[in-house]
Amino acid sequence: MKTTEEKTHPMIDIRGLRKCFGALEVLKGIDLQVAESEVLVLIGPSGSGKSTLLRCLNHLETPTSGEISINGERVNRTDLSARAFQRHLNRVRTHMGMVFQHFNLFPHKTVLENITEAPVQVLRQTREDARRTALELLERVGLLDKCDEYPARLSGGQKQRVAIARALAMQPSVMLFDEVTSALDPELVGDVLRVMEDLARDGMTMIVVTHEMGFAQRVADRVVFMADGDICEQGTPERIFNDPQQERTQKFLGDVL
Amino acid sequence: MLDWSVIFHYSPFFLKAAVLTLQISVISLIVGLVFGLVAALCVLAKNPLLQWPARFYVWLIRSTPLLVQLFIIYFGFPQFGLDLSPFWSGVLALALNTGAYNAETIRGGIQSVPAGQVEAARSLGMSAALTMRRIVLPQALRLIIPPLGNNFVILIKDTSLVSTITLVELTLTAQRLIGSTYKPFEMYLMAAFFYALLTTGATLLLKKLESRAAWSHA
Ligand SMILES: Nc1ncnc2c1ncn2[C@@H]1O[C@H](COP(=O)(O)OP(=O)(O)OP(=O)(O)O)[C@@H](O)[C@H]1O
Ligand SMILES: [Mg+2]
Repeated sequence: MKTTEEKTHPMIDIRGLRKCFGALEVLKGIDLQVAESEVLVLIGPSGSGKSTLLRCLNHLETPTSGEISINGERVNRTDLSARAFQRHLNRVRTHMGMVFQHFNLFPHKTVLENITEAPVQVLRQTREDARRTALELLERVGLLDKCDEYPARLSGGQKQRVAIARALAMQPSVMLFDEVTSALDPELVGDVLRVMEDLARDGMTMIVVTHEMGFAQRVADRVVFMADGDICEQGTPERIFNDPQQERTQKFLGDVL
Repeated sequence: MLDWSVIFHYSPFFLKAAVLTLQISVISLIVGLVFGLVAALCVLAKNPLLQWPARFYVWLIRSTPLLVQLFIIYFGFPQFGLDLSPFWSGVLALALNTGAYNAETIRGGIQSVPAGQVEAARSLGMSAALTMRRIVLPQALRLIIPPLGNNFVILIKDTSLVSTITLVELTLTAQRLIGSTYKPFEMYLMAAFFYALLTTGATLLLKKLESRAAWSHA
């Protein structure tokens, strides 16, 4: 009988990550490992550096120092020429799907074109293949009937589900969500969270920045509480929500719950 | 009173001159768009070797009169062995001139596309060039078609300056016919009429283009 080979490296590996904006140190040496299929929920007060952390992962922000690896591959390599590094980045970014608070759908493209754009242009899929995948994904997020609409005609919740489908179309190993329900009307939040829960159940590795504590309790394998650019406390949702050890965590949860 | 008989009699001359004016305008428009796009991309580039020459070009053109630019090219360049025909001197001067204004327009359009659009594209693995071509420029285009159209209308009117370098376009046609008809009012009126015809035609065409570039109305 074959034994499934044990992975020797975590899916996401962050070591000593620091990020400064000028004199402001926003990330103060983060160490964080996320295992394959793990759902990690990142919480913390405004300005604690949650978005910056996500954006450093796919190099939308350039880390000041530290090491980031995705699936064993170093993201912020320093051994490449500027040109080669850009090519390297374009490739590793395809392994990380990112969903933004404000959707950032392409307004000049239909829902279908939004989803097929990168698979065709970057992965060189044929139009038919990309279209087939896109339609499957749209069905999965419950928006098959909207495939020929322009984003301006969709509700916030629908836009966000398209944005998730767009990221999934690249078949990423990791999904990063940055407060994806914060800009939505309350009654639209549920649909988006359900899609994310499905994804978690299917074994996607996810880092989710959110203020939806209910989601964190239901779906997270681990909750990380950040404050002032550092990880203040982490643990299972039960532990963090029912028995937080740190005073800052207690205060934060007292404010939001 | 208007002398309608000279107007009718000489209108074929003006029609022919209008064709030349249109030719100069359209060629300058196309070359000027290329100049403008290249200059805008260079001004926005991080590389100073691209940025500074482009900035200098835009500054130089915008801070000097078109007539002087035209004279430098037509009368000045031959001193260095660059002897262009009146037609190509005119086109070059007009294209360089409108290009500088287009560059500013295009740069503004590109910069007004939200940063989130670029981040979304880059996070999908799209290169900077691909992002510019597929995501940013198409969105900028919608914003810049009206001001670019404006630049084009100005360009058509500016072609009257090439009358000073012996190009028999509308203005010089009027001037020459005045010599034989002694009817300056009628002749200049004819020139004005054809300019208005060209600029209005261009404006209508651009309105059409504008509505086609609008991808949604929500
Ligand atoms: N581009 C930037 N330039 C300068 N400072 C920045 C920049 N981006 C973020 N910051 C600062 O970094 C700090 C952390 O910001 P970040 O957006 O990561 O926080 P956050 O935890 O995501 O907050 P929120 O919950 O409000 O989204 C803040 O003090 C912010 O002002
Ligand atoms: Mg944030």
